[in-house]
Amino acid sequence: MTLLHFEILSAALFCLGLYGVLARRSAVLILMAIELMLNAVNINLVAFAAYGSPEPSTGMVIAIFVITIAAAEVALALGIILRLFRERSSINVDEIDLMRG
Amino acid sequence: MTLPAFYIIATVVVMAAAGVVITRNIVYAALFLLVALGGVAGTFVLLFAEFLALVQVLIYGGAIIIVILFAIMLTRQREFHLTTEHRQWPLAAVASVGLFVLLAAAYLSDADTFNTNIRSGISVEELGTALFTTWAVPFEIASLVLLIALIGAIVISRTGDRDEA
Amino acid sequence: MIGMEQAWLIPVYSFAAFVLIAMVGRYLPGKGVYISIIAILAGFVTFWFVLADLFDRSLPDTFGEWHFMLEWFTTGDLTVAWGIVVDPLSVTMLGLVTFVALAVQVYSLAYMKGDSRIDAYFAYHALFAASMLTLVLADNLLLLYVAWELVGLCSYLLIGFWWERRSAAEAAKKAFVTTRIGDVGLLIGILILVTSTGTFDIGEILQRVTDPAPGEELRNAAIWGSAVLIFLGAVGKSAQFPLHVWLPDAMAGPTPVSALIHAATMVVAGVFLVARLFPLFEEVPNVTLLIASVGLLTALMGAGMALVSTDLKRILAYSTMSHLGFMLLALGAGGFTAAIFHLVAHGVAKAMLFLTAGSVMHAMDNETDIRKMGGLRHKMPITTAAFAIGALALAGVPPLSAFFSKDEILLAVQEGLNPVFLVFFLVAALLSALYMARALRLVFFGPLSQETEHAHESPSLMTVPLIVLGLVTLVLGFVALPLGGGFEGIGHFLFVEHVHNFEFHAVWAPVGIVLALGGFVTGWVLYAGPVERVDRIRKRFSPLHQLLVNKFYLDDLYQWGIDQVALRAARIVAVFDRLVVNDGGVNGFGGTVVNAGNRFRYLVTGKLYNYGIGIVIGVIFVALALWTRTL
Repeated sequence: MTLLHFEILSAALFCLGLYGVLARRSAVLILMAIELMLNAVNINLVAFAAYGSPEPSTGMVIAIFVITIAAAEVALALGIILRLFRERSSINVDEIDLMRG
Repeated sequence: MTLPAFYIIATVVVMAAAGVVITRNIVYAALFLLVALGGVAGTFVLLFAEFLALVQVLIYGGAIIIVILFAIMLTRQREFHLTTEHRQWPLAAVASVGLFVLLAAAYLSDADTFNTNIRSGISVEELGTALFTTWAVPFEIASLVLLIALIGAIVISRTGDRDEA
Repeated sequence: MIGMEQAWLIPVYSFAAFVLIAMVGRYLPGKGVYISIIAILAGFVTFWFVLADLFDRSLPDTFGEWHFMLEWFTTGDLTVAWGIVVDPLSVTMLGLVTFVALAVQVYSLAYMKGDSRIDAYFAYHALFAASMLTLVLADNLLLLYVAWELVGLCSYLLIGFWWERRSAAEAAKKAFVTTRIGDVGLLIGILILVTSTGTFDIGEILQRVTDPAPGEELRNAAIWGSAVLIFLGAVGKSAQFPLHVWLPDAMAGPTPVSALIHAATMVVAGVFLVARLFPLFEEVPNVTLLIASVGLLTALMGAGMALVSTDLKRILAYSTMSHLGFMLLALGAGGFTAAIFHLVAHGVAKAMLFLTAGSVMHAMDNETDIRKMGGLRHKMPITTAAFAIGALALAGVPPLSAFFSKDEILLAVQEGLNPVFLVFFLVAALLSALYMARALRLVFFGPLSQETEHAHESPSLMTVPLIVLGLVTLVLGFVALPLGGGFEGIGHFLFVEHVHNFEFHAVWAPVGIVLALGGFVTGWVLYAGPVERVDRIRKRFSPLHQLLVNKFYLDDLYQWGIDQVALRAARIVAVFDRLVVNDGGVNGFGGTVVNAGNRFRYLVTGKLYNYGIGIVIGVIFVALALWTRTL
C-alpha cells in the first residue's frame, strides 16, 4: 500500500464528515461529523510522517496536538449545546437564525 | 501482506463513517462513530504509529464518545425529529462528492511523486523527546487550552441560580 | 509721485469699496455709501495724474502707450497676466467713467435716499465702476472678457435692483440673456484669436494681425471670423440691431443706473471694444462695412422709435441706441477719433439727460408719461436748463460738445463710405434733432398740466451734478480744436495711424448745422402747435407709426422664437433629463442596487449550515481554479 491509499482514505473520511456537518440538523450529530473530519486530518498527518517526511516525529506530534485540541473542543461544544438546550429545549440548528438579514 | 489488512480496515472506517452521517438514530450514530474511531486507530497501527493508536483509542473511544453519549442523554427531545437532515442535504452531498473528486483527482495526478517506502515507525522515546524539546511550547499551550476549555465548559453550562438546589 | 504706474489703482479703489460695503456696509452708519463715493472720487483724482503723466512722457504729436503687467501663471505656451495699458484711448475712457460715475453716485445719494437696500445699491455701483475701469484698462483679452462679463452682471443686478417689481426682474433677465448671445460670440472670437496667435496680449495680437513676421500670418478665416464674432459681442452689449431689445426694458431700473450704465459707460463697451481692436477690423474691410451698416440701421431705428415713444426714459433709451449706432457707423467708416469723441460727448450729455429725467420723475411721483407733463420749467428751472443743454447738444447744435463730435462723424462718413450712408446719416441726424425737440417741448414747456402742478425742484445733491455735467457739455466740444500750449486738438490725441486735424468743411459742416437747427426748430414748432396737427401727421403715416410704436415687432418675433423653438426644445430636453438621466441613470443605479440588495438579503439566512455550504463551494472553486492554472 502506498501513500496514495492513505490519502484517498483520508479524503473520503473528510468528505463524509463534511457532508455530516452540512446536512445534519442536530448539533450533536454535527459534532460527531466534525470528529470524523479531525480524524481524517490525523490520518493524513501520520501517513505523511510515515512515508518520507524528513522529520517523522513532526507529523505524529501534530497529530497528538490535534487530538488534544479536539478533546478540548468537544468539551466546550457540549457545554454550549447543553446551554442551548436549556434555553430553547431544542438543539435543532435550523432554529438558530437570529443573525438573518 | 498489509495491503488486504489496509483494505479491510479502510472499508470498516468508511462504512462506519457513512453510518455516522446517514443514520436516523442518534445513538446508532454515536456507536458508529466509536467504530470509525477504532478503525482509525487501526490505520495508525498500519502506519507503524502504535503509540498514537493507543492514544486514539484512549482519548476518543474512552472519553470523547462517553461525553457525546452523555450529551445525547441530556438533550433528549420529546419526539426526536422526524428528519435528521434538512433541506439542503442534496446540495451538501453534491458539494462533498465534488470535493472528494477534486481531492482524489489532485492526488492521483501527483501519485508518481509519492514515496512508496514506509518507515518502520519511531520509538516512543523519540516521540517523547520531540514532544518535550522541539514542541515544548506548543505542549504547554495545549495544556493551557485544555484548562481553559474545562473552565469554559463549566462556566457556559452552569445554571445561574445556586439557591434552587 | 502719482503717475501712470498707479493707474491700476483706479479700479482697485472701487473694488475695495465693493468688498468693504458688501461685508460691513450694513453695520455702518449711512450704510457705507460714502465708501463707494470716496473710491470713485479717488479714481477721478488719480485719473488727472495719469493724464498729466501721459502727456509728460509722450513726445509732441505722438502719444505712445505704456504697458504694466503682473504675470499670474503660465500654462503651456499661454501666459495669464494682470495687465493694464495706458494710452490715449484708455485714459479718455478712464476720465469719462470716473467722472460720470462720480456724478451719478452723488446724485444717487439723494435719489435713492431711504431705500432699505441702499448699501447693496452702492456696492453694485462700486463693483460696476471697478469692472468698467478694468475693462478699459485691460491689455489682454482674458482680463477684458472677465471685466466684460462682470459689467454685464452688474447691469443685471442694478436693472433688477427693485426685483419686487415684475417688470424689473423680467428686464434684468432680458438684458442678461440678450447680451449673453453677444458674449458667446465675443468669447469664440477671442478664442480664435488666442489660439491663432498663442497669446492673450492685445498688443501682440494686433501686431501679429497687421504686421506679421513671415510664416506667422494668421489665416484669413481666423481674422475675418474673429472680427465678426467680436463685433457680435459689441452688438449685444451696445444694443445694436438685432440685439437691441433689452435696452428700452432696462429702463425699469433706477434712473441713475440708466444714466450711468445704459448711457455713458456699459453700453459703450461695445464701441470701445471695436476701437481697442481697431487695427484688426481695418484688416477686413467687409467687416467694417458690416459694422457701419448695422450702426446706421440701428441709428435710424432708434431715432424712429424715439420719435413716437411717450415714455420719457424710453425716448432717452432709444436715443442712446441711435447714438451708439452713430458711433459704430463712424468706426465702420474709419473715423476712430470721431467715434471716441462722440462717445465721450454723448456720454456726458446723455447721462445728464437721464439724471434730469430722474429729477422729473422724482418731482412727479415716478410718472414717466410725457403726455402727462408740461410746463415744468416754471417749477424746475435748473433741471429744465440742463435738459435743454443736453437736448441741443445731442441734436448737434453748435457750439455744444456733440456738434463737434457729430461733425467729425459726418466727415468720416463722407470720406470713408458710400454716399448712401451719408444720406441716411443725415436723415438720422435730422430725426435726432426732431425727437429731442419734441421731448423738451412737451415735458418742460407749454402749460402746466394737472400732474405737474405739484412739482418742485430737486434737492441740491441732485441738481449740482446736473450743473456740472451741463457745464462740461458746454465746453467739451472745444477740445476738438487746437488750444495752444502744445495741445493740437483731440485729433492729435486720439488717433489711429495718423493725426487728424479738426476741419470745418465748407460744405458739410453748414449742412450739419442746418439740419440740426432746422430739425430742432421744426420739432419745436410742431409740438408747440395744436395737437390736431400732430395727429393728422400721425394718421397719414399710420402704418409706419404702428411699426415704430410696436418696436418693429421685434420683441414679438423674439418671443415667438423663444416660445416655439427654444421652449419646445427645452421641454424635450427636460423630459430626456427627467426620464433618462434622472430616473434611468441616477435613480436607476440606486434602485438597481437597492433591488439587488433586497434579493441578495435572502442569502443571509442566519443559519450556519447555509454559510458552511457556501464556504465549501467556494473552496472547491478556488481550488479548481488554482489547480487548473498550474496544469
